[in-house]
Amino acid sequence: MYFQKKRVIAMLLAGGQGSRLHVLTRKTAKPAVPFGGKYRIIDFPLSNCVNSGIDTVGILTQYQPLELNEYIGNGQPWGLNKTHSCAQVLPPYERHDKKSGWYKGTANAIYQNIDFVDRFNPDYVVILSGDHIYKMDYAAMVEYHEKNNASCTIAVRNVPLEEASRFGILNTNPDNSIYEFEEKPKQPKSTNASMGIYCFNWQVLRDALIADEDDPKSSNDFGKNIIPNLLNAGHKMMAYNFDGYWKDVGTIDSLWEANMEILGKEPEFQLRGDKRSTIYARNSALPSSYIDEDAKIRNAFVAEGCEVYGTVKHSVISVGCTIGEDALVEDAVVMPGVVIEAGAIVRNAILGENSRVGKNAVVGGVFAEGEKKQISVTSKGAVVEANTVLLPGDML
Amino acid sequence: MNVMGIIFTNDASLGELTNKRTMASLPFGGRYRQVDFALSNLSCAGVRHVGIISRHNYQSLMNHVGSGEEWGLEMEEGGLEFLTPYAMSTSHAYRGKLESLANAMDFLEVGPEDELAVLIDSAVLSNLDLKAILDAHVASGKDVTVVTKAGICNGEKKIDLALKVENGEVTDMVVDYAAPEDYVASMDVFVVNKKWLMKSVQEMIARDKFHMDRDLVLGGWNRGLVSVNVYPFEGVAMFNDTVEEYFYSSLSLIKKEVRHDLFNGNHPIYTKVRDRVPTYYGEDCEVEDCLIADGCMLEGEVENSVLFRQVTVGKGAEVEDCIVMNDCVIGEGAELKYVILDKNVTVTPGAKLCGTKKNPIIVKRGETV
Repeated sequence: MYFQKKRVIAMLLAGGQGSRLHVLTRKTAKPAVPFGGKYRIIDFPLSNCVNSGIDTVGILTQYQPLELNEYIGNGQPWGLNKTHSCAQVLPPYERHDKKSGWYKGTANAIYQNIDFVDRFNPDYVVILSGDHIYKMDYAAMVEYHEKNNASCTIAVRNVPLEEASRFGILNTNPDNSIYEFEEKPKQPKSTNASMGIYCFNWQVLRDALIADEDDPKSSNDFGKNIIPNLLNAGHKMMAYNFDGYWKDVGTIDSLWEANMEILGKEPEFQLRGDKRSTIYARNSALPSSYIDEDAKIRNAFVAEGCEVYGTVKHSVISVGCTIGEDALVEDAVVMPGVVIEAGAIVRNAILGENSRVGKNAVVGGVFAEGEKKQISVTSKGAVVEANTVLLPGDML
Repeated sequence: MNVMGIIFTNDASLGELTNKRTMASLPFGGRYRQVDFALSNLSCAGVRHVGIISRHNYQSLMNHVGSGEEWGLEMEEGGLEFLTPYAMSTSHAYRGKLESLANAMDFLEVGPEDELAVLIDSAVLSNLDLKAILDAHVASGKDVTVVTKAGICNGEKKIDLALKVENGEVTDMVVDYAAPEDYVASMDVFVVNKKWLMKSVQEMIARDKFHMDRDLVLGGWNRGLVSVNVYPFEGVAMFNDTVEEYFYSSLSLIKKEVRHDLFNGNHPIYTKVRDRVPTYYGEDCEVEDCLIADGCMLEGEVENSVLFRQVTVGKGAEVEDCIVMNDCVIGEGAELKYVILDKNVTVTPGAKLCGTKKNPIIVKRGETV
């Protein structure tokens, strides 16, 4: 087989379980979790790739891959199914030398797919994860990497000092070159947090992955092993500042917040985009949404294929949902295919795909200003029976 | 059963709405073009070889249909073909369906001889169970199956082909005539055996007959040469032959029973994908009894209307009984009633437009009012 040489390809780590999303990832890999009415989390890095001119993406899957694989399919929604482009799903596999099996860590996942990367003989490999909501031009980062003649460039963003100890922190010289990397430091020296987005010279990374695999003590992780090892070996490593919206949606609270942050006339995160910043998704074949004469919708997104008879305030309603008569949905994230029956009340909640809230049932509650919100969650296909209550913070 | 499909695209006109596009590419129902119904009906019945016959103005149609991948028609063998006059080396536009079919002989010859052919128009919209219709055609043993709809003929509306059916047998047929109520209207969907069709077309053209309804179906039936089977369709059928009908059909989608029949979950209507964000409803919007596509920004009042993708309705604007196509911007405080805005129209703030139910105002594509 002949493969066109590529200057840049991307490898997207999509195998994580996302255990902090609890019931939402019980049967779904985190990158396949719905977001923003018609998207899934993985649409953001995939669309960023396409918008950055990266047309070859390896997607490393492991945990609950069925839905994710099906969603990615042949990559057609992102235009990655053409002669010289691809979205290739890369699950773990068995090899002759027993250096195989489940992906042991982020670095091991790439190590096991060195052959895939080699086919394209790329100059640079961009490593991404399927955990974040953001729009970013990776091409600009690759330019920066190339201009600085670096071996590795890491995207960083400024975080508040009090949060810095939750991240991998990069300490840099005035020219933005990195002299130290600290994983979740107790006493952070800077507020440059790694976004988990790396650009490597492929040959440098390839050698590092092989060396790392030979180290039995390594946990085969980019943050814990590969990055510190390259730094110790004296490679030039640069920090690339990114100051746009970027949100880790790894927890129930952050997933709910990120959905709320797309609302408003001038939202914190603008879903809309021009040709270079459109987020692409696999679209459903559902008709336009019907809005009934008694419906009231205020400050909300409603995707296609919905029927709205009740009241929706400050919420995100995904494709194919029904909001029954006299139902109230407020401060809620309603995932695809949800049915909320007549008279039900849903507040401060995330309703998982195809879940159902029965007649006059109550999900979640209200919170005083400044009080920490306890988000109620229903899992995929769950049913809140008619006239019952799902308490604030409870999961079903 | 091998089946091929032929879609006709031009044989009607809705004035300004079809000045620069075919009936097939006329936008309908918030996110569709009329041809999506014919294509999806064929696609859902497993038809994978479809020709689209177009005389002129087919730029927007080709752009919409593309390679046919949304309808599962992107194939190496068969798939979708555009049968335009140039593609078939004729220098003039066809005078009738038979003539266009005569020019499409190469296309008709491709599949196996025993193939069935479905001939379908783009002006009558429905969600057909074509599989059942094909089975009924085979079981009938007749030359032609005409899919019909009762309740359309009213003695006033001119019908392309109307049939009188008694005890399942056709007893009369009229063409281009305002048939009375006891006639059923052809939905311009025909099933025939391909081999028979090819032979009949050649015979007709040799005698300079090119009108399918008049010359082949009615003429043949009159002379006892063509046997006709009728398949009565029970579901919703929208005959969009005039602007008034198009306007009425569009707004009738707001009714649940109509919507649920036409967009039945077991048999989706596919259309070209546009990656638009979900529609955003602002703090002050009032939206009632509407069909709303993706990508809109709504801050004003919208009632009993169909909004296509990416429509903006400014604060204080009032939109009632309107069809608003893609990318229109309705300025703050504007008032619209009984208006059809074609694509990409800008309504300046405070502008007022008021048509009537029978004669809605049409604002042409790209205009500013």
